[in-house]
Amino acid sequence: MRPYATAKLGGYAALAAVGLLASLVLSRPELVALTAPFLLALAAGLALATPPRLAVAAAVDAERVLEGDEVTARVLLDAATPIDRVDVYLRLPPGMESLSATNPVSLRLRTGERRELAVRVRARRWGAHVLGPAYARVSDPFGFLRWETVAETRPQVRAYPREDALRRILQPWETQVFTGNEVARRKGEGIEFADVRAWAPGDPVRRVNWRASARRGELLVNESHPERNTDVILFVDSFAEARQEGASTLDLAVRATAALADAYIGRRDRVGLVGFGGILRWLVPGGGTVQLYRIVDALLDTEIVLSYYWKEIDVIPRRTLPPNALVLGLSPLLDGRSIGALLDLRARKFDVAVVDVSPLPFTRRPADPVDAVAYDIWALRRDALRHRLQRAGIAVAEWRAGEPLQLVLEEVRSFRRHARLARAS
Amino acid sequence: MTGAGAVAALAAAGGFGIAGGGRYAQAALGATAFALLLLVVALVLRAPVLVPWAVIATAAGYLAVRVGHDSVDGWAAVVGVLLLLAAELAAWSIDADPRIRAERALVVRRTLTLAGLCAAALVANFLLLATTALTASAGALLALLGTTAAVVAVAVVLRLSRRVTA
Repeated sequence: MRPYATAKLGGYAALAAVGLLASLVLSRPELVALTAPFLLALAAGLALATPPRLAVAAAVDAERVLEGDEVTARVLLDAATPIDRVDVYLRLPPGMESLSATNPVSLRLRTGERRELAVRVRARRWGAHVLGPAYARVSDPFGFLRWETVAETRPQVRAYPREDALRRILQPWETQVFTGNEVARRKGEGIEFADVRAWAPGDPVRRVNWRASARRGELLVNESHPERNTDVILFVDSFAEARQEGASTLDLAVRATAALADAYIGRRDRVGLVGFGGILRWLVPGGGTVQLYRIVDALLDTEIVLSYYWKEIDVIPRRTLPPNALVLGLSPLLDGRSIGALLDLRARKFDVAVVDVSPLPFTRRPADPVDAVAYDIWALRRDALRHRLQRAGIAVAEWRAGEPLQLVLEEVRSFRRHARLARAS
Repeated sequence: MTGAGAVAALAAAGGFGIAGGGRYAQAALGATAFALLLLVVALVLRAPVLVPWAVIATAAGYLAVRVGHDSVDGWAAVVGVLLLLAAELAAWSIDADPRIRAERALVVRRTLTLAGLCAAALVANFLLLATTALTASAGALLALLGTTAAVVAVAVVLRLSRRVTA
């Protein structure tokens, strides 16, 4: 710990020097009396100031919490010398807020004393939050000299997004070969009834539909749909976001992605992730709880990184986009690169649906008439963009902050149902 | 509270000069008013560099009243301590950050330290002035004493600061 002098030390030294010199020049003993207290304070302060030996460390009780949960961060102080005054401050990242009045705090430590300062913090936003550094500033008894040190440890708190409970999710057009919860369109071994047909040699007796056979006078057997799994790719657009007062379109998108991943994996589907933005992130589709943790961990690192590099869908590894997968995009539709990528995926016959995380709640219509017209044109262009996506066969629904995600998913489902009917006719 | 205490201490120190009367009482009043203004600005702007100037202005006002007096004013000991108290309380006020919660024990200790320092300074000042009053020929001897004190003080300060930074 290196010391540095405060302004007070310089001021007192200057006062003492000026006073003593003036007393010599003016031959006034009163001036010595006016100066002597400052000189005494200087001498006493510097005599009592000893270089402190203080160890500072920071830790947290829980490294994984849910968004909005509280956790206790601890700053550990170990004094090898007496500390007359130490100011301790644990710096918190923007996504965390302090609930304790003891950060920052001033206190005194005796020789060999160990103190543990508990700071209650709340994860205001999802993400991987690095707490600290914890700063300690030591002062001598009279405040002439100061020493500063920083804790070597910086604990991390991973705040997972809170998920909405989804009752129903989007079903892909095509299923995969593995067993799952999705009823396949093709007929085969399964539970869900599909049709009846005439008995053929080899059909098991337990599949005979006795009631229908009695009515028709011939042996009929039940046919069923097999239950299969699906592949779902969650496509998170992190090129741009609209942000206001600590909330943003990316926050909504990440929460929705976590909820969707949880819901699909709960149905034994394979879920992959593509974070399409300034930094490209991807996870090859997989199933199970481990995959869910992988996805949520990957989501925590999602952030907006400014990039002018024009990225196309070719940059995504081929294994990340399996055939017949449902690509579910969550995008504010603000960046042309992500819109182009979604259209490109649709052109390659992928089953694409988009939840438009609307940036409109995060903006304000300007008061100036000219600006207001520009704002309205921008909003209309967004509508036109959605129609363009729909014409390409992509189901799009606008999701505004405050609305339940389930409502938006139902809108997407409705569009997909009608689009299929239109195509069939 | 410490800021108000600093202003009060400085006003009291200036009041000693003004109470002395004489030809330069108005000058002392002006210097004290200027010093108080400087101190308030220093407290509001949290500018510790202005505090010594406020102390110098008050001391100058006090000395202006003492012009023409051959005797040594015994109240100078109290004025000196009041100036120190004003400077210490001002430094405390500027240093205090409302966001930092100080432990009660720390505040008590700091108050006691300040009280102890003021008491020691008062005793030292009375001893110094008593020595000066006992001296028959104040001029040359006082100059010698002052020079010796200045040199010793600077030497002590340098010695102590070297020990601290070593």
